[in-house]
Amino acid sequence: MGLLTNLRDSISRVTDGLFAADEPKRIGIYGPPNAGKTTLANRIARDWTGDAVGPESHIPHETRRARRKENVEIERNGRKVTIDIVDTPGVTTKVDYKEFLDHDMEKDDAVRRSREATEGVAEAMHWLREDVDGVIYVLDSTTDPFTQVNTMLIGIIESQDLPALILANKTDLEGSDVQQIANAFPQHETIPLSALEGDNMDEVYTKIAEYFG
Amino acid sequence: MPHQCTSCGRTFPDGSKEMLSGCPDCGGNKFQFKPAGATEDTTAGATDQADPPSGDAGPSGSAAEGRSRTPPTPDDRSASTPEESGTDRRPTEPADATPSDASASADASAESDGTEQIADRSDEDTAQASARSEVVSPDELDRASRDIEPAETPPAEEEPEPGIDALRDELNDQFESIRIVSPGQYELNLMELYDRQEYIISLQEDGRYVIEMPDAWGIQDE
Ligand SMILES: Nc1nc2c(ncn2[C@@H]2O[C@H](COP(=O)(O)OP(=O)(O)OP(=O)(O)O)[C@@H](O)[C@H]2O)c(=O)[nH]1
Ligand SMILES: [Mg+2]
Repeated sequence: MGLLTNLRDSISRVTDGLFAADEPKRIGIYGPPNAGKTTLANRIARDWTGDAVGPESHIPHETRRARRKENVEIERNGRKVTIDIVDTPGVTTKVDYKEFLDHDMEKDDAVRRSREATEGVAEAMHWLREDVDGVIYVLDSTTDPFTQVNTMLIGIIESQDLPALILANKTDLEGSDVQQIANAFPQHETIPLSALEGDNMDEVYTKIAEYFG
Repeated sequence: MPHQCTSCGRTFPDGSKEMLSGCPDCGGNKFQFKPAGATEDTTAGATDQADPPSGDAGPSGSAAEGRSRTPPTPDDRSASTPEESGTDRRPTEPADATPSDASASADASAESDGTEQIADRSDEDTAQASARSEVVSPDELDRASRDIEPAETPPAEEEPEPGIDALRDELNDQFESIRIVSPGQYELNLMELYDRQEYIISLQEDGRYVIEMPDAWGIQDE
């Protein structure tokens, strides 16, 4: 980051403080493993900052520590919304190293990944309690949304009155069923997208601005 | 002395309130859990954590299930869980608890600077610690059983084998939020994890873990 950028950042921070009166909202990207959270985080970050957030993988529990990208400035309808996005580890009630053995992993590595994944869930849950101002909940629309994890997390989010957007991801895949997700969480707005292909990102950004601005 | 500061080595009894605001000697906020050895533990709940049928396990159902297996943990007091905010399930109050504690606990935990809450928590922490590490007194048994749902089966009486299994059981009992089924296999109680003030940053298979107190989250930027 260059000197000028730094300077501009600190100036805008000061003016933000003076005029907007509030810090960027910290938005946690939550959901089960492999839903496409990191893919979405990377797309948002690349679209608005040029950087990526973290590695994506078809192997579940790729993200095992929360990762944050600060001051993502999203422009919608002439209005600027600044958020910090936190990509969190996929939340689950069971982690089993055997699941990773199918992915050509040595047992040692699988056991380590499993332990780190468990620590990651603990971290994600902790952030949910203390450190996020809003949630983007990402679901793989080709899988059944009626799970214990989803019900519990959405329940927690509601109990905290956090603004939440539900994203039905992977609409590019056959077998994607957005309506099933909408039915599962009728009290929330469900937005379809393909984070991988970048489909419907316009609506996603409009909703982000609307919910978290 | 189950906890030890990872920077200066000072040890703390389980549930020590000093730990909660960082190490008083060096200010460190990472502590390693050192199992005291095999203790007589109930292993209730070890087998009932299988995935419930999907769809019917709401936040309240699961939380209640998680709660009912074990005596209340210190963190139950500050929990802001979906079903609990209005109801006080705690059967006994420490003598010095503030009158508004029950209803205000959720707020206190959300914006606490640490101190007030810790003062509040100390009694139960101590009680909880001794409940875990010593022979359970009739009073504590009573306390515990009143928190257990009537339908729940009584705690199993079996004694864990000494050694790694005992350590594992002890960790499981201390941290009912994470159950180590075997190395590399874990079951997580999301509600408990959500409720805890501190969180586990490092699990180790020998029954140790390193926990970090709420002051300084290790989070990676970018
Ligand atoms: N077809 C398709 N694949 C996607 C889409 N979004 C993500 N994926 C793929 O799904 C897999 C998981 O994506 P990640 O972004 O790593 O998922 P995650 O939710 O971050 O997973 P964890 O970090 O393990 O919790 C990767 O192989 C992605 O390429 C999508 O919109 N369409
Ligand atoms: Mg990820």
